[in-house]
Amino acid sequence: MPSIQPIQPIFGLEVLDSDQLAALRSATLHVLEHVGIQFPSQQALDVFAEHGAEVDMERQVVRLPPDLVTQAMSHAPRSYRLAGRVNETDLILDGTRSYFGTDGCGTETIDFETGQQRPSRKEDVAKMARVAEYLHSVAFYWPMVSARDCGRLAPLHELDASFNNTVKHVQTETVMGEQPAQYAVRMGEVIAGDSQRMRARPPFSVLICTIAPLGQDKEGIEAGMVYAQAGIPVGFMAMPTMGSTAPAAAGGALVVANAEVISALVLMQLVTPGAPVFHSILASVMDPRSANYVVSTPEKYLCNTAAVQIAHDWGVPTLAGAFGMDGPEPATWQLGRDSVYTALMVALAGADIVTGGGMLRASTLLVPEQLIFDDEIYHINRKLVEGIDTSPDGLALDVITAVGPRGHFLAQKHTRRHVRQFWIPELSHPRWTTEGEPAPDIRRRARAKLGRILAEHEPEPLEEAIQAELQAILDTAGRQLGM
Amino acid sequence: MTSRGEALSRLAQAVVDGEPEEAEAIARQALEEGLDPLACINEGLTPGINRVGEMFSCGEYFLPDLILGGEAMKAALAILEPALVDSQGREVLGRVVLGTVKGDMHEIGKTLVGTMLTAHGFHVTDIGIDKSPADFVAAAKQANATIIGASALLTTTMPEQQRIIEALTEAGLRDQVKVMVGGAPITQSWAEKIGADGYAEDAISAVGLARRLVGLPA
Repeated sequence: MPSIQPIQPIFGLEVLDSDQLAALRSATLHVLEHVGIQFPSQQALDVFAEHGAEVDMERQVVRLPPDLVTQAMSHAPRSYRLAGRVNETDLILDGTRSYFGTDGCGTETIDFETGQQRPSRKEDVAKMARVAEYLHSVAFYWPMVSARDCGRLAPLHELDASFNNTVKHVQTETVMGEQPAQYAVRMGEVIAGDSQRMRARPPFSVLICTIAPLGQDKEGIEAGMVYAQAGIPVGFMAMPTMGSTAPAAAGGALVVANAEVISALVLMQLVTPGAPVFHSILASVMDPRSANYVVSTPEKYLCNTAAVQIAHDWGVPTLAGAFGMDGPEPATWQLGRDSVYTALMVALAGADIVTGGGMLRASTLLVPEQLIFDDEIYHINRKLVEGIDTSPDGLALDVITAVGPRGHFLAQKHTRRHVRQFWIPELSHPRWTTEGEPAPDIRRRARAKLGRILAEHEPEPLEEAIQAELQAILDTAGRQLGM
Repeated sequence: MTSRGEALSRLAQAVVDGEPEEAEAIARQALEEGLDPLACINEGLTPGINRVGEMFSCGEYFLPDLILGGEAMKAALAILEPALVDSQGREVLGRVVLGTVKGDMHEIGKTLVGTMLTAHGFHVTDIGIDKSPADFVAAAKQANATIIGASALLTTTMPEQQRIIEALTEAGLRDQVKVMVGGAPITQSWAEKIGADGYAEDAISAVGLARRLVGLPA
C-alpha cells in the first residue's frame, strides 16, 4: 500500500518578525490599491468591476481597495484536504506538517534505458508517477514532464497518465484555458465519483503562474475561475527575478510577487467565496551580466522561506519550491547544496506543500534517478526536524546506570529498540545485499534503486470503466479543441 | 510440564529474541524437568543462534540483536554446561584466547568478537585489555588454546601484535596456535606482513575467519 510520510517539525524557522510581516502586508495593499494588476480577461475584469474595484478596461488593469482585498481573503480557508484516491494518501493542509511532491514540467528527459537525452513523452509521465507512488517522500505528483507526443492535448494526457499510475494526489501546472480546464474538471469528477464528492475529496489541484511584474495570464486566470467554481484547489505562483522582473531588493520583490498572487486569490474568492486556494512565491535573482535566471542563490533561499510566512500571514496554505532544480547533471555538489538549503528551510518555516524533486537544468530536464537523491535528502530532513526526545526513555538514565563507566551500549535492549529508529542513508551508506557489494558510484546506486522500483512497483489500477471514461473525455476534448 | 519439543523451541526463541533472563529461566526449568542438557544446547540454543545469524545476513537484524542473541545463548549455557555429564561435553569448535594488546585500552571491539565466537561454538577466554605478549602466551598455554585473537586500535600499539607472534615462536607454540588480528588500523596486508594467520574486519567476519582457522568452512 502506498504511503506518505510528511515532515512534522517540532521547532521552526522565522525569517520575518511580525513588524516586517505587517510592513510587507501594508506595502502589498498599497501596490494593489495604487499601482494595480493587469488581468487580460474580460470575464475577470467584469467580476472585479461588479465588486467595486477600480477597473481600467482599456489597460485591463484593476486597482483593489484594501477593504475589498481583506474582505475577499477572509473567505479563503486556511485548512483543507487534497485527496488521494485512497484515504491513506490524503494531504491535510492544516499548518502542522509539510508534504513534498515532484517537480515539473520538463520538456526533455534522460531516457532511463538508453541514457540519451530526448523529448519527453506521455509514457515518461506514467513511469515517474509509478516511482512517485512508491516513494514515501512524495505526497503528491506533479506530472514531471510534458506529454509532447500528444500535441495540444498534452496537458490533459499528463493528467490521464498520472491518474492511471498513482493513487496519490495530482497537481497540474499545465491545464490552462477555460475549455481545457472544464475537461480536467470532468476527469476529476470521474475519478472522485461525481461533482459533490470531488468537492469533498478533490483528486487533483492546480498551480497557475502569474506574469511578473504585476500581471496575469489570460488562460491561467480563466482556467482558475473554472477550477474555483468546481471546488478544485487552485494556487497562484509568482516567480520574481530580482533585478529584471522585480526590484533588486528582496523586500520589493516579495511585495511585487505577493501583489500578483493576492490579486489572483481575491478574484477566486469573488467568484467562489470559500474556494480552497494556495499561495506561492519562487524567487530568484538575475545574473547581473547576462540577465539570465540564477536559480541557486541565498536571496532565493531566504525569499522562499519568507514566502511561507507571508502566505500564512494572509491565512492561506502555501506551496514552496525546494531541491536543486538546476545543475548540469545529477549527484553533484551544487544540487546537494541547493537541496539542503531549500528543502530544510521551507519545511522548518512550515510550508504546507512543497514541489521540486527530480529535475535539473532549471526544471526543464527530467533525470529519473535525481528523484532518488532528493528522496534521501527529504528523509534526512524529516528525521532532523523531529528534534530530541527528553522523556525518560529518551534520556535513558536506566541504561546509562546499567552500563556505567567504560562499558558499551551495544548489548542493551534500549539500544536494540532505538537503533531501529535511526534513519541510515541508503545511497551514501549502502549495505551489502543478497546481490553482493554495492556499486562504488553513487549515481549507479540511485539508478539501481530506481530500476528496482520500476521493475517491482505496480500501481493500483483504475477500474476499467473509469479508464474508459477518461479516454472518452480525451477523445471529446481532441475533437472540440481541434485535435 | 512442558513437552520436550516445546522447551527446545522456547529456548531457541529466547535466543532469537535476545532475552538473556528468559533464556536462563527456560534452561533452568528444562533441567528441573529432566531434559538432556546436550539436547538443549544442540537442538535449542544452536538453531536459535543460527537463526539470529540468518536474520542479520538478510538485513533484518542489527548488531544489538546479534549481541543480545549471543548474551541469551551465554546465559543459558552457563546453566546447561555444568550439568553436562563427563562423557558428554559440548562440541567446541576451538579454544580462543582473546585480548587487547599492551598499551591499548580499547575494549568494545574485542568483547564483541568474544560474544560472537562464543555464540558460534567457540570456547573463549577473554584476558582483557593492555596485555603483554607474555600474558597472551601464558593464557594460551593454560587454556590449551587453538587460536589467539589480538586487538589493537592504535597505530602505536599495532607492533604489539607482531611481538605476540614472536613470543609464541620463542615459546615453541607457533605451530599449535593460530593468530588472528583485528582493530581499526589493521588491514589484511598488515596481517600478512607480521605473519598472522588471518584478519577480520568486524565481529561477524571474525566468526568465519576463526572457523577457517580450525579447518571448517566459513
